[in-house]
Amino acid sequence: MKLELLFPEVCNLFGDVANMRYLRACLPQAEFVETPLREDPCFAREAVDLLYLGPMTEHTQEQVIEKLRPYRQRLKQMMDGGAAMLFTGNAMEVLGSYIENEDGSRIEGLGLLPLHAKRDMLHRHNSIFVGDFEGKEFVAFKSQFTMAWPEEGAQGLFPRKKGVGLHKQCAYEGLRRGNFFGTYLLGPILLMAPDFTRALLDAMGAEDAPLALEAEVRAGQKARLQDFYANEHDIWK
Amino acid sequence: MKRNLRFYFALFFAKGTALVLKLIGRKGTSMPGSWAIILCPDFLGRMPRPKRVVGITGTNGKTTVANLVEDVLEDNGYSFVCNRSGTNVATGVASALIANSTLFGKPKKDLAVFELDERSSPHILPYLKPELLLVTNIFRDSYKRNAHMEFILDILNSYIPPETRLVLNADDLLCAGIRPENERMTFGIEHSAEDKTECHNIVRDVACCPHCGGELTWDVVRYHHIGRAHCESCGFSSPPPDYLATRIDARDQRLVVNCRGESGDFHLPDQHTINVYNVLSAIAFLSEFGLGREAIAASMAKLSISQTRYLEEEVHGRKVILHLAKGQNPIACSRAFENIREYPGKKAAILFLDDYFDAAHSVENTAWLYDTDFEFLNDESVTELVVTGARHWDVYTRLLLAGVSPEKIRHRREVENAASLLEGKEAASVFILYDVYTIGLAERTKEKVKELLRQ
Repeated sequence: MKLELLFPEVCNLFGDVANMRYLRACLPQAEFVETPLREDPCFAREAVDLLYLGPMTEHTQEQVIEKLRPYRQRLKQMMDGGAAMLFTGNAMEVLGSYIENEDGSRIEGLGLLPLHAKRDMLHRHNSIFVGDFEGKEFVAFKSQFTMAWPEEGAQGLFPRKKGVGLHKQCAYEGLRRGNFFGTYLLGPILLMAPDFTRALLDAMGAEDAPLALEAEVRAGQKARLQDFYANEHDIWK
Repeated sequence: MKRNLRFYFALFFAKGTALVLKLIGRKGTSMPGSWAIILCPDFLGRMPRPKRVVGITGTNGKTTVANLVEDVLEDNGYSFVCNRSGTNVATGVASALIANSTLFGKPKKDLAVFELDERSSPHILPYLKPELLLVTNIFRDSYKRNAHMEFILDILNSYIPPETRLVLNADDLLCAGIRPENERMTFGIEHSAEDKTECHNIVRDVACCPHCGGELTWDVVRYHHIGRAHCESCGFSSPPPDYLATRIDARDQRLVVNCRGESGDFHLPDQHTINVYNVLSAIAFLSEFGLGREAIAASMAKLSISQTRYLEEEVHGRKVILHLAKGQNPIACSRAFENIREYPGKKAAILFLDDYFDAAHSVENTAWLYDTDFEFLNDESVTELVVTGARHWDVYTRLLLAGVSPEKIRHRREVENAASLLEGKEAASVFILYDVYTIGLAERTKEKVKELLRQ
């Protein structure tokens, strides 16, 4: 099994590279390929079982879009073919239609996801999110400069129970397209939502791989939910 | 900016607030400044400034360095305004200026020395216009507030006035590149045999050449991106330090600093790399301020690092060590963890890492735990770890992912009696790691650990 981490030397904000550290613990036999920004991605040459891209700075985001633009067709082919992909934080915006700056200027994305984002660098959004994945509730976190607007044909990933979805009125967080999973949720998400992690492993073809430290991860999940509901009044006041 | 009626109303209201606070015995609050800025948003721009204003900012170390600088200046007979007992944001600066002004706002002192929060620069620097500004370093900090280092750099590059002279860390490529058009002096530490050339930290925020994007070759790595590097592709390299720390003698607590062909010998209150940088930056800053080398050295000899940040006590030949480890700050906590690993002998540690306010009223964002080098605690010299607090399951899971044996860890939610989870049989030293808001808890725990060690 081969997993590719795209540009981990720069796409590594907010502790999210630990999503892959956790998968290493779940899949000790798997090969993890780390592709730096100055090199050609592995997925362009061969099939990978998971493609991962993590959060990055706004300047890096523009570099990553241009880096991946020549591989747009290959990425589309992978998405259409059901390849497992996980994009976290603002990585999902790279695949969207465009990112709009405060002055109205636009950065064209790869146009592979029905979504566009708007930056607001003067107002950072921080919040706690409670949602579920296939009926299993979890808590995760948002910390970002952008809000995203899904376009026609978008399919949400995590129905929102409390907190803010892709934008303040959106009923869900993240996008799903086949085995592509994109979310702004931090935590890292694979340690926040073990049922989602299970589904991701299944999508990769690792149905037999157990979740690493499952009892501890689920105990953390339960404690977060309990604290959220115990402090709900304080959190939203 | 001219003073107007609104300014005077805000000033009088703030002074009245300060008087009431004084009468009811409250000190060190930024409330007068908060009111002044609420009533007059550009209050800092209208408030008369002392003749000389200097500032200290950066992600880590600014409080320690500001304290050192202020102590040296005080020891040399300077009288100045500072925000040491308040906050380092705009309201704290405004409160300090109000407290040290006449009824109509005229400054009572000719000098102001401010510790400045880098995130608050847009609300402070354009108004304060410091003649000299020290930037200790630039790292990722709280994700919620500071986002990422590029965001903070953009703020500093946008809001540092062009006339401000800078004192910058030459061993930090992010810091050294701030406002290249401004006049600057830099400081750095000379290569030593103990220096590494590989980074052992999770976070390294300088990934490639800032000029051409090419691969950097690291000649020295001290921690994270602090070190010296060059680019084979374009020839770019870390700038040569104007103030170079040489001959660091940890045993005799001495440090030699070379500048402009002359060298000075200084007392080094603490030998941890981070504090060598803190002391060095204070020396460079004070020199650029205009204080003579001998005067700085004589005052430095009397100083220590603040005991609220690091304190060792001995009990029956064993140590209890209070070590500040700011929560939500992966670099500060990684430094603390490495200090534990490097400390001689076998160690136990009690970790109070939760954010005090989030633990009481919310669910803390745990993402920062995964940028923090818990791997340093996976060392045979670390015999015991006690984790308490609302997020104890998350810290426990993080420690397990770092490879720490579960047999070494005890964890539970309740914090007050953390010391009772400690066996302390093997450890020659017990570290207590705490955040700025849990000093009281750390102090109480220290007394309980001392009692345990006495038994």
